[in-house]
Amino acid sequence: MNRSQEVSLDTVRSGVRKKKKNKDTWAIIGFIAPAFIIYGVYVIYSIFMTFYYSMFDWTGIDANMVFLGLENYVRLFQDGVFWTSIQNNFLLVIASLFTQLPIGLIMALLLFSPIKGMRLFRSVYFMPFLMSTVAIGILFIFIYEGNYGLLNAVLGAIGLESLQTAWIGKESTAIWAVIATVCWQFAPFYMILFRATIVGIPEELYEAADIDGASGWQRFKSITLPLLMPIIITSAILSVIGSLKYFDLIYVMTGGGPNNSTELMATYMYKQTFTNFNMGYGSSISFSMFIIALIVTVFILLGDRSRRGNE
Amino acid sequence: MFNKKLLWMMLAAILLIFAACGPSDSADTEDTPDNSTEDTATETEEGSEDNEMEAESEEATLTLWHIETGPSEEAIETAVQRFEENNPNVTVEVSQQENDPYKSQLSVAMGGGNPPDIFHSWGGGWLKQFVDSDQVVDITDSVDASIYNEAALSVSTFDDQIYGAPVSMDVVPVFYNKDMFEEYGLEEPETYQDLLDIVQTLTDNDVTPFALANQTKWTGSFYLMYLAERIGGPELFNEAFERSGRTFDDEAYVEAGSKIQELVDMGAFPEGVNGMNYDTGQSRQMLYTESAAMMTMGGWLVNNVRDEMPEFEEKLGFFLFPSVEGGEGAKNHVVGGVSPVFSVAQQSEHPEIAAELVNELASLETATEMSNNAGSISAVNGVEYEDSYIQEMSELLESSEAMQTYYDQTLPPELAQVHLDTTQALFGLSTTPEEAMAEVEASAQEVIEE
Amino acid sequence: MIRMIKSMPLYLLAIIILIVMGLPFVIMLLTSFKGQMEFMTSPWSIPESFSLDNYLLLVELEFFGYFVNSLIVAVVSVVIVIIISAMASYPLARLKFRLNRPIFILFMVGMMIPIHTTLVPIFILTNKMGLYDSLIGLIGPYIAFALPISVVIFTQFMRDIPKELEESAKIDGCSHLRLFWNIIFPLLTPAVATVAIYNFIHIWNEFIFALVLTNSSQNATLPIGLREFYGEFSVNIPGIMAALTLGSLPLLLVYFIAQEKIVTGLAAGSVKG
Repeated sequence: MNRSQEVSLDTVRSGVRKKKKNKDTWAIIGFIAPAFIIYGVYVIYSIFMTFYYSMFDWTGIDANMVFLGLENYVRLFQDGVFWTSIQNNFLLVIASLFTQLPIGLIMALLLFSPIKGMRLFRSVYFMPFLMSTVAIGILFIFIYEGNYGLLNAVLGAIGLESLQTAWIGKESTAIWAVIATVCWQFAPFYMILFRATIVGIPEELYEAADIDGASGWQRFKSITLPLLMPIIITSAILSVIGSLKYFDLIYVMTGGGPNNSTELMATYMYKQTFTNFNMGYGSSISFSMFIIALIVTVFILLGDRSRRGNE
Repeated sequence: MFNKKLLWMMLAAILLIFAACGPSDSADTEDTPDNSTEDTATETEEGSEDNEMEAESEEATLTLWHIETGPSEEAIETAVQRFEENNPNVTVEVSQQENDPYKSQLSVAMGGGNPPDIFHSWGGGWLKQFVDSDQVVDITDSVDASIYNEAALSVSTFDDQIYGAPVSMDVVPVFYNKDMFEEYGLEEPETYQDLLDIVQTLTDNDVTPFALANQTKWTGSFYLMYLAERIGGPELFNEAFERSGRTFDDEAYVEAGSKIQELVDMGAFPEGVNGMNYDTGQSRQMLYTESAAMMTMGGWLVNNVRDEMPEFEEKLGFFLFPSVEGGEGAKNHVVGGVSPVFSVAQQSEHPEIAAELVNELASLETATEMSNNAGSISAVNGVEYEDSYIQEMSELLESSEAMQTYYDQTLPPELAQVHLDTTQALFGLSTTPEEAMAEVEASAQEVIEE
Repeated sequence: MIRMIKSMPLYLLAIIILIVMGLPFVIMLLTSFKGQMEFMTSPWSIPESFSLDNYLLLVELEFFGYFVNSLIVAVVSVVIVIIISAMASYPLARLKFRLNRPIFILFMVGMMIPIHTTLVPIFILTNKMGLYDSLIGLIGPYIAFALPISVVIFTQFMRDIPKELEESAKIDGCSHLRLFWNIIFPLLTPAVATVAIYNFIHIWNEFIFALVLTNSSQNATLPIGLREFYGEFSVNIPGIMAALTLGSLPLLLVYFIAQEKIVTGLAAGSVKG
C-alpha cells in the first residue's frame, strides 16, 4: 500500500540517500541471509537435484545413470495412473479449499462467540491437528471399516442403513473417505491462523460498528471478512500447495488403492521411486508436481492482485 | 545494483555446494565400465587405500540392518554376540528396522553411498535389483551351500552365484477354525469343489468364509498363486517368468482370475476386502471374533495369534489349498517364501569379515533358535524342532514336491507391483481376468525382456 | 434467559463440532488402556479395566529416550525457525527493494517440492557434512523445510502492522535491528504462536527424514521409536496408541501456552492502536 513512501522519504535529502541505501542493503542482506543460506543448502539444492535426476533413467541405487533429456516427461504424459492421480489431487484441492477453510473459519468465529467453556472448545477443536498421522490413519481405517466400523454403526443408529458401505474398500467411495479425513485433520490449522488474525483486529473498529447498531452478520461482513481477506488468500495458497503434494494419510490408509483409485501424485511418485526403483521417473513426477503447484500459486497471486486492484 | 550482486554471490555459493555434493562423488563408486569388474569392494570404495593398509586383525566395525522382531530379533542378537566373542576385534552395530519403510530406507542408503555392511532381504526380484546394480557381494566362495535347503537358497542365487544366505522359511496353508468347522459339519477339503461347498455352507450360515485383508495386496495374491498353480501346474510360473513357453496371459492364469471373481461373487470374502489392512489386524479380527472361518496365510499367522489372542491357537487347524479337478497341479505343491536372507553390501569396507558374520547369522545355531522360538521353518538343514506346530509345517514343506516362491518377491519389483495391483483389481471386480492378465504380460514383456 | 435461548443454536453447533473433532482423540486414549485381544474383539467399547500395561511397556522399551530426542530436535528447530524466518520476513514485508518479490517467491517455492525425491540428495549432503545419524543432521532439513511456510505467514502478518509505528522510530534514528526486535517482533505474538504450533507439531510427528537420516536407536525420535510396536506383519495398536497419547501431551502443552500467549498478546497489542 504505502510501501513506496519510504523511498520517497529518502529522496527528500539526496545527500543522505546513497549512504542510507547502502545501510538498507546491508540490513536486507543481514536479515535474509541466515534463512536463505540454510534454505539454499537444503531446499533449493533439492529442487535442483530433483530436476537433474528427472532427466535420467536411473534406479536410484546404482552408478548407472542414462541421460534421457525430457523423455521421462513424455512418458509421464502418456501414463494413465499419473492422470488419475492428478485428478485425485485436484479433487483434494477443491475439497480442501471448500471445507478446510470454511470449517476453520467457523471454528475460529465460534471461539469469539459468547459461549461458556471456551478453553475446552479451543483445545478440543485443535486436537485433530496434533494427532499423529499414524494414529489418525489406523483409527480411521477402523472407523470406515465395512463390517463393524464406527461410521456404519452410527449410520445404523440414526436409521441410515442404506448408506452403510465399506468406505475405503470401494473404489467409488475410497477417495472421498480419505479426503474427508484429510480435511478433518487440517481444518484446525486454518482455525488457528484465522484466530490469530482476528485477535489482531483492533477492538475500536467493532465498537464503532456497535454504535452504528450493526448486527453480528454485518459486523462480520464489513469488518472481519475484509480484514481476513489477506490471510484467507495465504491460507488458500497453503491449502492448495499442501493438497497438491499430499502423501501421508493416503499412504497409511489405502496405499493408493483399491486399484489406484486413491493414488495421488505424491504416492505414485513414492511407488515409482522406491518400490519400482525408478528414481529418474519418480523425480520427473516430483518436478511436475512442483511446476503444477507453482502455476496454480501464480494464478492465485495474480487473481489476488487484480482483486486488490479492483478495490 | 549492489544488493543484487551480493545475492548472485550467495546463489553462486549455493551452486558450489551442489557441485561438491553431487551424486557423482558418492553414489558412483564405479563410473567407468572397465572398473565394474567385481573383485573386492574395497577397491571401489572411497578411502580404500587406508583399509588395505590395515591387516585383517585390525579393529573393524560392521553395521547390520534387519527387520526381525520379538524372539527372532533375540536370535539375531545372540548370533551377533557369538560372532563378537569369536572375533574380539570386530564390533557389530545392529539396527532393527520397521518392515515397510525398510525398503525405502535401504534404497536411499544404497543410492546415497552409505549402506549397512550386512542387510536383510527376502531374496528374489528385490535382492536381484541390488545385485544388478552391483551393490551386493558375491559370497559363493564364503558360504557352504550344502547346509541350506535348496529351495531356500535358490531365492538368493542368480546365474549360479550366491548373493545371500537364508535363515528361515514359511509356507502358506489355509488356516481354519476347527470349532466352526465342527459346528457346521465341515471337513478339510480335498478338491476345489469341496472348498466351494464349504464356502456355500458358511455363507448360508452368515459366516464370511475367508478372512482377507487385501489393502495389503500380497494377501490376495496367495489365492491367485495357488489357483494358477493348481490349474496350470508348478512350471507355469517359471515358464512365464523365464519367458520359455507359457506366458502370464496364459489360459490357466485367466481361469485362476475368474475363479477368484467367482469366489468374490459367492461372498467368500469380507465386504470391502480391498480396504482392509492385514498389518493392523483387520482380517485376524474376523477370525478371532469368529465372523470368518478360514484364512490363507503364511505360517507367521501363528505368531500373530500367540501375540494377540493366545487362546485362539488351539482352535487353529490348517490344510493345503485343494487341487482343482482337471488341473495340472497337485495338492502337495506349496506356496512359500524365505525370510530373512542376509547379504553383504558391495560398498562395505570389510566384505570378508561381513561374509563371516553372514555365515554366523545363517548358521544352524541361529536357525535352530529362530525356529524354536519364533515359529518359522529353518532354511538350514538338520534342525530338531521342539515346537510341534513348526514340526508339522516343516513336514508339509518336506513332503511337497514343489515350492512356489511368492510372486511379489520373486518378480522384478516393477512387475511385482503390476501383479499385485491387477490381482487387487480382480478382487474388487473392477477388471476382467483377461484384462488383468494381459496387463501383467505386457509389463513382463517390458520389464523382463528388455 | 433470552440470551441463553438465543445462543442455543450456537451451542448446538459448537458441541457437534466438539464431538466430531474430539472423538478420535478419545478413542485413541481409550484404546491405549486396552490389551491387544480386547481391541481386536471389541474395538469401540469402553475398556473393561483401565490397565496401564501399555504405558508400563513404554517405560520398559525406554521410550523416554525417544521422547527427549524428539523434544530436543523440535525445540531447537522451532526456535531457530522462528528467529530466522521472522528476520527474513522483515525486509520482505516492510522494505522496498528490487529483489523483494523474487526472493519471496523463491522462499515460497520451497513448499512445493515433495520431500520424497529429496531424500537421496539430502542423505548424500548429510553424509558429506558428517552429520549422518545425529540429531543435528535432522535439525538442518527440519529448519530448511519449515522456512517457506513460516516466511509466508510472518510476511503476511507483518504487512498488516501499521506503517506509522516504525516511521516515528526511524526518525529517532533507530537501526533496523532494534526496530525489528523492539517494535515489530513483539507485535507478532499471534503469528509466532501459529508458526510455533505448526512447526512443532510437524517436526514432532515427522517420519521420513528421521527414518533415512538417523540409524541408531540413541538418535531415534518418537515416530521412529514406534517401530518397537510393529511386528513383521502386525501392529500392536493399543501400544502405539499409548505412545502417541503420551506423545501428544507436549503438543497440547505447546498449544496451550501459545494460545494463552495470544490472549495476553492481545492485551499488549491493544496498546498499539
